[in-house]
Amino acid sequence: MVKQILPKNLSEVLELISKEKYRFCAGGTDMLIQNHNLKTLPIDFKDNIIYTFNLEELKGITEDEDFITIGASESLESILENKITPQILKDTILQMASPAIRHSGTIGGNIGNASPAGDLLVPLYLLNAIVQLQSLKGIRSVLLSDFITHVRRIDLRDDEIITKIIISKINFDKHQFVKVGPRLSDAISKLSFLGAVSFHEDKVIDLRFSFGAVNITVVRRPEIEAQYIYKTKEELKNSVDELLEKYSEYIRPIDDQRSNKEYRKTVALNLLRNFIEEL
Amino acid sequence: MAKIDFRLNGVPVSIETQLNRRLLDVLHEDFDLIGIKEGCGEGECGACAVLFDHEIINSCSVPIANCANKDIVTIEGFSNTSRYKILKDAFEEEGAVQCGFCTPGMMIAAESLLNKNPKPTTEEIKIGLSGNLCRCTGYNMIIKAIQRAAKVGEGKW
Amino acid sequence: MKDIRESILKTDGDEKISGQAKYVADIRMANMQHAITKRSTIACGEIKNISYPELPEGYFIVDHRDVPGLNVVKIIFDDMPVFTEKAITYLHEPILLVVGPNKEKVKEIVNNIQIEYIEKEATFEWKNSAVQYHFDKGLGKSIFENADKIIEYDYETGYQEQAYIEPQGFIGYLEGKDKVTLIGSIQCPYYVKNAVIQVLNATEENVRVIQPSVGGAFGGKEEFPSLMACQLACAVKKVKKPIQLIYEREEDMLVTTKRHPARIRFSAALNKEREILGFKIYCAIDAGANIGLSGVVLSRALIAGTGAYTIDNLDCSGDVFITNTVPNGAFRGFGAPQMYFAVEMFMEHIALDLGIDSLAFRRKYLAKQNDLTSTSGTFRDPIIMNEMIEKGMEISDYKKKRIEYSKEKSTKGIGMSFFFHGCGFTGSGEATHIKAKVRLKKDKDNTVYILVAAVDMGQGIRTTLRKVVAQILEIPIDNVIFDFPDTDKVPDSGPTVASRTMMIVGGLIGRAAKEMKKRWTETEFIVEKIYEQPEYIKYNDETFRGDAYPAYSWGVNIVEVDVNPVTYQPKILNTWSVYDIGKSIDDRIVLGQADGGLTQGIAYGYLEVMNHVKGVIKQKNMTDYIIPTAMDTGNMETVIYENPYAFGPYGAKGVGELTLVGGAPAVVYAIEQAINKRIHKIPATPEYILEMMNDGKNRL
Repeated sequence: MVKQILPKNLSEVLELISKEKYRFCAGGTDMLIQNHNLKTLPIDFKDNIIYTFNLEELKGITEDEDFITIGASESLESILENKITPQILKDTILQMASPAIRHSGTIGGNIGNASPAGDLLVPLYLLNAIVQLQSLKGIRSVLLSDFITHVRRIDLRDDEIITKIIISKINFDKHQFVKVGPRLSDAISKLSFLGAVSFHEDKVIDLRFSFGAVNITVVRRPEIEAQYIYKTKEELKNSVDELLEKYSEYIRPIDDQRSNKEYRKTVALNLLRNFIEEL
Repeated sequence: MAKIDFRLNGVPVSIETQLNRRLLDVLHEDFDLIGIKEGCGEGECGACAVLFDHEIINSCSVPIANCANKDIVTIEGFSNTSRYKILKDAFEEEGAVQCGFCTPGMMIAAESLLNKNPKPTTEEIKIGLSGNLCRCTGYNMIIKAIQRAAKVGEGKW
Repeated sequence: MKDIRESILKTDGDEKISGQAKYVADIRMANMQHAITKRSTIACGEIKNISYPELPEGYFIVDHRDVPGLNVVKIIFDDMPVFTEKAITYLHEPILLVVGPNKEKVKEIVNNIQIEYIEKEATFEWKNSAVQYHFDKGLGKSIFENADKIIEYDYETGYQEQAYIEPQGFIGYLEGKDKVTLIGSIQCPYYVKNAVIQVLNATEENVRVIQPSVGGAFGGKEEFPSLMACQLACAVKKVKKPIQLIYEREEDMLVTTKRHPARIRFSAALNKEREILGFKIYCAIDAGANIGLSGVVLSRALIAGTGAYTIDNLDCSGDVFITNTVPNGAFRGFGAPQMYFAVEMFMEHIALDLGIDSLAFRRKYLAKQNDLTSTSGTFRDPIIMNEMIEKGMEISDYKKKRIEYSKEKSTKGIGMSFFFHGCGFTGSGEATHIKAKVRLKKDKDNTVYILVAAVDMGQGIRTTLRKVVAQILEIPIDNVIFDFPDTDKVPDSGPTVASRTMMIVGGLIGRAAKEMKKRWTETEFIVEKIYEQPEYIKYNDETFRGDAYPAYSWGVNIVEVDVNPVTYQPKILNTWSVYDIGKSIDDRIVLGQADGGLTQGIAYGYLEVMNHVKGVIKQKNMTDYIIPTAMDTGNMETVIYENPYAFGPYGAKGVGELTLVGGAPAVVYAIEQAINKRIHKIPATPEYILEMMNDGKNRL
């Protein structure tokens, strides 16, 4: 029998995980399905479980001058409805899943799950999100892109829990999130794209792209983005083919029951081209 | 086993249970609330939808552990309200019910939607229903029913 | 008196909306046992050995040795075993049930049963033909000798899953010592009863089948439930306690029947004046591991081969292929959706090749009253398709949009399909096999009971049949009772399939009601009616000659789409439908069927993907098998035309299937226009559209 804990507070969790290995169940939208048992039977968890959905310490959305901090157990819906949430994040959440799933799915759960098709990761990569981890030893902050190491693999020690997600407060002149799913809502993405750009006196001062479901994790290439800073809009538009070629190397999707690699790659690059051409 | 207290259809309840049971099973088996249907078991179809602190969730995707001290309302509880009556009449008058298996979930989705947005546009209704699958109606009459309810029940939400 | 088409509230609305309607999973019984199916893990081979774990007391294995009668499920072609004895013919073939009081324990036992197989090479190619059909009309293929030009194209359609929201399930229990009672999510109580009688070697009195509320069916609960019921009946006999056998969604999707994938080749012989002289039509369907009712599916497909058009000379043939895949079966439309997609696209592609206006070309060949059908029968009743097409074009502004969307930059398209659906069973099935029997009973207190085996699975028959009786008898509908069918109480009025229920069963009920009205002063009596084929309907099942159906419903679907040029995703903007269904018994119910059927039909054409790789179904849950959500539907408008059929109640013909069969060609016509490429395969997914954009043939 696996152990199951409904903790009263975060220090109880930190105590427990310092001694023994547990997995966390936040909203449950993924954990329950991944460990689904026959209907009417309890969920078939293979590991010890701590339920974190209602932990007060993991709730809350706050801001200071430069950053927005989101508690790991905040539901997607409450992030969507909070007025301090950046529009770029709201645009993504609006296209994610269904209202029911948005009410129970959490930001921490999405990150911990590290699915290559996780839509929420796409804007979080783009916003250089930082994941805050806590253990009895203290607090560790990791860049999300470093935290997710592979398909469904994360850099989380057994004695740590994800407590907060910190994103910089930033607005772009233009951003566009496109989720390409098998239908127009309530479906896992075939791929997704997010582009964001800001200009100063017609020169690019910030340019970012992230792609979901076209590689083992979200594709974000700051070194490519950097090559176009201080170009004029016209120069950027003129170098669209070159830009596509640079990204092409990193867009390496797979064939599966939802789509195929030709489609995923073509459409990912089409979306990038379309974003640039419509600037 | 653990003790979980929550409000169910307005009444405080308490159960001794395993924490890893789905809210769906607790409601359907332990409380015999048959208005909650299992269609897919993985959060896609919405037939098991209930209100969880006044917002729609799929009870197949929520462990009972997450329900401690929450306010859960099922179609059985909702059906005692005046808003239910408005929605029910609208569903009947617009022909929104065929096999009926998705219907309680659709009612919950409609209530959750109107609760937040009493005057939804067609597009907003579609978004509000996007997590509830219906294979019989093509949704057209369900959308019309919600439009009708919003109009008839103006001021109720 | 009110026109019967004026809508009333459905009689079961209240119980369904409030969640109090009982579906099979909602039924509780004391001492309920759980059954789980042990299935094969290979697609082809033999069972070499089965080793069982020790069974705790109260746990049972039920397999082929527990079948008292014939180990075969009575369908139409009886080739599906209840439990396989040795031969494995598809992945997840049922081998045995484990039954016991604790589900967790039952599952553990299932997992611990070890089965050794001798694996054989499975066949997934379409090469083993089990049924071959061929028929001619007019001069048959010899007309091709006179052809000035021959045009030939291939078309392909994929699986479609019924995706009823309520998975399949049964509860079975023993009544008294010998009687097995089964409550299940079904369309055909007597199919189930007769199948169980054969398997148990039981008498009529000792098998009872009851229908609870059914959460959608669409053909998926036509023949498949008989298999589950036979297995469960054997288990009930052995265990002698109530047992529940309810599928999980994934099990349901992996093992239940689906729409047959089809490959269709059309050839047209044309003369110098660019007129069609004749068609050669070849249709192959994949039956999966058993024939079952695939032969009947193929025959309906072939009979629909000329679509809504009259073609004087035909050579029609087809094969049912057996492969080591999950058996396919009934699904709303029953072979016709595959064929309508193919014939509609073929007519369009001929016109494009000839460089002539395709709408005018198609309208020129539209069937007219007194034309010969594909099986050389006669369209006896008036056909009002021209009027319906004009109406459809008017409400959709079709002509203007068609021109506007043919501009190069346009990403939109609009398409229109023409179709009919033969109402009721194909051929002489109704007269020779089904012989529907209905009863109407009047009680002392003037309450009238409708006694038929027709199942309400959402299509509203619990309301419409009562409405017919109440209106004829001129009594309040509340005085007409139509309980859920129970084979102990109702006669065999036939299965709830083939869009036959209102036309055939309702027709008989209507006649019974008329007789009852004449005898109304009598205090307590029963009127019974048995189906008689109208005398002029003659059909030969062997030669495919004569009137394949007593009546035909007709339809026009128009679909408007916008195909995203960046992602190749089609978005449905608007749909318009015009139907001739004889007479609407309740407008709102008919419109509900129209919306739902068209949504399924359109989704079949562009959205719903299911395929297998070496017999393994890749989309095995509702996450991966995509059906439309509210977001995926456009605005819908439907117009109903009256064109009464003499033998239907108030003139009613079939509705249910008609509303599905034209969806796929209409949406594909629209997508073809939007992308200016030709489409030969459905579903026309974004992946396929991309492929066509790169390598496909231009439409114009």
